[in-house]
Amino acid sequence: MVSVKAAVMVITVLTLCLWVTRTSAAHRECCLRYMKKKLPFFVIKGYSVQDKREMCPINAIIFHTRKGKTCTDPKLNWVMHYVNLLRNKAQIVHTEAQSNNGSFFSSS
Amino acid sequence: MDLCFMYNLTDLDYDIVEPCSFQNNNQVERFVWLYIHSFIAILGFVGNSLVIVTYAFYKRTKSMTDVYLLNVAVADLLFVAALPLIVYNELTSWSMGPVACKVLRGCYSVNLYSDLLLLACISADRYVAIVQARRSFRLRSLPYSRVICVIVWTFAILLSVPTFYFYSWYEPLHARDDVHQWNGTSRSPQYVCEFRFYNDTVAWITKVTVPSTQLAVGFFLPLLVMTFCYTAVIVTLQRARNFQRHKALRVVLAVVVVFVLCHLPYNITLLYHTVNMFEQQECEASDALQVGKTVTQTLAYLHCCLDPVLYAFVGVKFRNHFRRIVQDLWCLGKRYISPRRFSRVTSEVYVSTRRSVDCSSENGSSFTM
Repeated sequence: MVSVKAAVMVITVLTLCLWVTRTSAAHRECCLRYMKKKLPFFVIKGYSVQDKREMCPINAIIFHTRKGKTCTDPKLNWVMHYVNLLRNKAQIVHTEAQSNNGSFFSSS
Repeated sequence: MDLCFMYNLTDLDYDIVEPCSFQNNNQVERFVWLYIHSFIAILGFVGNSLVIVTYAFYKRTKSMTDVYLLNVAVADLLFVAALPLIVYNELTSWSMGPVACKVLRGCYSVNLYSDLLLLACISADRYVAIVQARRSFRLRSLPYSRVICVIVWTFAILLSVPTFYFYSWYEPLHARDDVHQWNGTSRSPQYVCEFRFYNDTVAWITKVTVPSTQLAVGFFLPLLVMTFCYTAVIVTLQRARNFQRHKALRVVLAVVVVFVLCHLPYNITLLYHTVNMFEQQECEASDALQVGKTVTQTLAYLHCCLDPVLYAFVGVKFRNHFRRIVQDLWCLGKRYISPRRFSRVTSEVYVSTRRSVDCSSENGSSFTM
């Protein structure tokens, strides 16, 4: 009887844990293959990097597009070109923000 | 503008290849972790605790086999103690932090190796006892078995060093970037406890070596030793004219069959996974493989609940010891409970006579060593 009670208790506790931690499993995602065609640049909103020295099996650049995330091969030239374009874009915004520093833009 | 327009016409139907989120496996994992792993943990805890308690209290002169059985029980107990903590952490994105990550993963690995190597030692011990009976007095001494156990544990710890070293508590790079770029709302960081390396070569070597070692030392070596030893044991038993022959044969077969049934499916899945790890894969196929790994791994875990039954409780001597424990506990309980219950009715004399009747076996040794 005691062991049945204990079992019920443990299962209840674990189930509660499940309810408490209903997180999205985004951290468990991995790119397993790459998209074959080239992506149009204007649909890209941002990117992230998947490194095979971490939990995932292959290296990948994950572009965030209007439709969702997509896996691309960092060995391909167009992929790295896009990454550079995105970096440049970010750099321009950064420099503009710095040059506007102290002006009325920064008051907000 | 023109360029943009052109893109719009031709490439609007671009096909994205989304990262695989292993949805089927996530569901199966949650179910298995919550219900089956807790079941295994409770069952394994009870069974192996009983073995350890029995040995701790009632074994004065231990044989070589006893030393092995006790060590198996300790390894299994440590394993089932780590299991709920691993499940809890997996469900709460490793909320117990980096030390728990390394300790739990390492603990799991050490116990896996020591457990399976000790099972191989038990088979070798039985081989020496039955097949090489003439040499068994020299080879099956107590200090000898203790030395072997120390060697097994040391070996298990050494084999787990890569696990200790390379399992790390971190936020994966691609999940971290997600938080910054995707939706401005700040999400709580999602930590994992997985492999992490400093360079590609070490990553490649370790990702291949760790599962390969597990396959070789954690499955094929014990399987080979067990197959050889138990085959020889069976052949010898077939020739002998002993009335307990059939029971011994059944026990040996049960041990081998359960070992193969529990560990073979997981190791096949692990082998397949390791071979195909670095190739590009479809999400559905990989998800299915992960489901297979989750299910077969649970089957392998089940083995540590069956060890007490297959190795300890199957023995007549052990069962006698165990029976005595239960009997003594029963007496102990009565000693404390019955005086209260009968205090109004009778005096101390009643209690003491009752004890002397029921628990008479306390002094006499009713079993053979």
